[in-house]
Amino acid sequence: MRLVQHSIIGYDFTMNRIHFLRPIGGLMAWAAVLMSGCDAPVEQYPPNAVHALVVHHRTDLPTEAAAQEVTQLIDQWFGTPLEPHWPAELLSGQAAKGLVDQDRLLRAPGSFYSDQDNLHYGLYTEHCVRCHGVNGGGNGAASALQNPYPRDFRAGIFKWKSTQRSARPTKDDLRRLMVHGAPGTSMPSFSRLSDDDLDVLVDYVIYLSVRGELERWLLYGAVEEIGYGDEPVEDPFRFGLVSIDNATGDRASEAALYAAEHLKRIVDQWGQSAEVAVPGASSDPASGSSVDADSVARGKELFHGQVANCAGCHGVDGVGGVNIVDYDDWSKEYSTRLGITPTDRQALEPFEALGALRPRLALPRELAGGYAHGGADAVTLYRRITQGIAGTPMPAVMLSETPSATALTPDQVWDLVHYVESLLETK
Amino acid sequence: MTQTEVETTTTDEATGAAALGSAWQAPASDSAASGALARSKWLHVFSVLAVCLVWPLIWVGGMVTTMDAGMAVPDWPGTYGYNLFLYPLSTWVSGPFDLFIEHGHRLLASVVGMVAIVMFAVAIKGEPRRWVIALSGLVLAMVIGQGVLGGVRVLLSDRSSAMIHGCVGPIVFVLCCLCASVTRRSWWDRKGFDGQSNPPQGVGKLALGFAIAFLCFAYLQLVLGAQVRHVQPLTSTKMFTHLVVTHVAVAAGLLAAAPVLLTLTRRCGDLTLSRLGVGLIMFVTLQVLLGVSTWVVKYGWPEILSSLPLGEGYLVKSKGFFESMVVTAHVAVGSLILANAALIVMQCYRQNWLAAGDQSVQRSPSGVAPETA
Repeated sequence: MRLVQHSIIGYDFTMNRIHFLRPIGGLMAWAAVLMSGCDAPVEQYPPNAVHALVVHHRTDLPTEAAAQEVTQLIDQWFGTPLEPHWPAELLSGQAAKGLVDQDRLLRAPGSFYSDQDNLHYGLYTEHCVRCHGVNGGGNGAASALQNPYPRDFRAGIFKWKSTQRSARPTKDDLRRLMVHGAPGTSMPSFSRLSDDDLDVLVDYVIYLSVRGELERWLLYGAVEEIGYGDEPVEDPFRFGLVSIDNATGDRASEAALYAAEHLKRIVDQWGQSAEVAVPGASSDPASGSSVDADSVARGKELFHGQVANCAGCHGVDGVGGVNIVDYDDWSKEYSTRLGITPTDRQALEPFEALGALRPRLALPRELAGGYAHGGADAVTLYRRITQGIAGTPMPAVMLSETPSATALTPDQVWDLVHYVESLLETK
Repeated sequence: MTQTEVETTTTDEATGAAALGSAWQAPASDSAASGALARSKWLHVFSVLAVCLVWPLIWVGGMVTTMDAGMAVPDWPGTYGYNLFLYPLSTWVSGPFDLFIEHGHRLLASVVGMVAIVMFAVAIKGEPRRWVIALSGLVLAMVIGQGVLGGVRVLLSDRSSAMIHGCVGPIVFVLCCLCASVTRRSWWDRKGFDGQSNPPQGVGKLALGFAIAFLCFAYLQLVLGAQVRHVQPLTSTKMFTHLVVTHVAVAAGLLAAAPVLLTLTRRCGDLTLSRLGVGLIMFVTLQVLLGVSTWVVKYGWPEILSSLPLGEGYLVKSKGFFESMVVTAHVAVGSLILANAALIVMQCYRQNWLAAGDQSVQRSPSGVAPETA
């Protein structure tokens, strides 16, 4: 009996002395510190500091005062992530006023939750913010690890759309992209989201784009045109004094009128997007029937010919392998357009410190057996060929009604489309 | 299995207490007396039940986060004003999936809470080892604390709380596993040196230290994973990249360390340690594969793997069923690794204790532990 007691009590005693709980306790304390990363609600949209630095490089003028006042105006007009606002009061026409629905807007940012009716809130935070960032700058937490980088909405440049190269996409374009995603990239398909939720995200993307684009224009205009710099500007030209209430009517200052004019222009571009659809994109002669082998052969010839010269970038037979050194427009803005070599880490450091992503080569797609990020149907390919891809080095071919040495006819473009389709299918 | 490895499960239940005595060559008359201090079978049953409930609970909790359903029920401890257990079944089952999974998580957690209470009660009533009673008490306290954390997460709508809640869950699972392990019959019956078979050997300081370090890094890895999963809206790209790189580096380290740990611990010849070591290698390997898969289903085919043609043109699907399962499995297997590592540490200490007792026996002329001779 004594022996058994010894075994149990002795083990009891020994286990009390074990030391392994000590480092685990220490680790847990350390983990608690690591986990205490604050989850405070995002109260302000981060300002576009990279653009301010770009403007500074371009103009050689200080931009701090301008950036501060522009941020004040933007916050006044567009609200905060806690309470976003669509400045319909400053817009004229139902199309512009209704471009973004205020009720939907409120469901996009902030903490995400849902109710018994399956109505979701904080949708942008839930689905988009870790890549596209709080202000739609395309530099969310996970962005640096993606290739291609997530879209920066603030430049107003969108790749995948049914509209002309420099135009804004339609709401249907944005919705289509969200539903189908972009294969080969980190952009997911949100096909499981309800139509209502998709509408919320579409509206919020437009809101962020308009907000971000206006911020960019005002910042540049403040320094370049209004004269923000070393000296303080006079009150009528101060963006910081403009609010929603004094932005229109007789009380409107010069700064308010300047900003309202740019806002109207930007919103109108969005409103008119449906009117600038790519012409001829729905007139595929092979639509509804099998593609003619002769058309594919003609397309192959055009692909390798001088006018389209697709092979110059995509390689012979679309297999790639061509050494192209070029970058997208978002990266060029703070590199080549400022005379900075995109590989110059030291020169780029100030931009990266403010959130700019390191420039990456924009490589042409390997078409043979490959895939297309923005969709591979015939109509989409027609748009890509005739418009190029906005923000990228992919150029547009010139169109003409008759064959020429510098342009393709629509029928020739369709031949090219059929050849590219045949390349993409060769898996 | 080497020749020196010793099967830890020994005798049947009827002779279990006697076997405990025979570890130190107890006189035959003590065997009957040892039966009076039998282990609590029911504690083991409820501990195993807790293990079997907590792991699915971690799955469901992981799924709640994967589906961003943590705030599908805005109140706590009730559900939309109802008592948790009285929320209409039809509304729960036929309602939105987010509500279904969040409320289900709460119900399952409640069941775990009840099992933890029973565990503690059974331990007080029938378990002779005070430290095991304390362990079951700790399980109960942690389960309650974890429930409160879940409530705080909801009431504050706070993702940091959600992250802490997610990191404490595996600790509860580990404690349940430890409790189930130390109450099993083979633990109770384990023989020391009987003068005939091979004497127990300790695992050595290096192996023990390595096992503890592995456990610590496994938990660190879990916390890093939670950081990556619960990234904040204003987290910088640099910070997130650091987190991901560290997470990958620690994963690689654990993958390399698991076979080393097996090699170090199996030297003592204990089959339980060998089995746990092999299990650890399997879990860590599976976890690395799940980690890569999680990245792929969340962010697409990584550039670093672009030379592999598998993921070309891969389309990420937000919250698809398969994708959600992969991500959640990555969370759940992390708990298995942690529990496995904790069991190895525990088993190392036990092996060392047995070996220390054996040396005492060998030093004693009578072959009986000096204190009892």
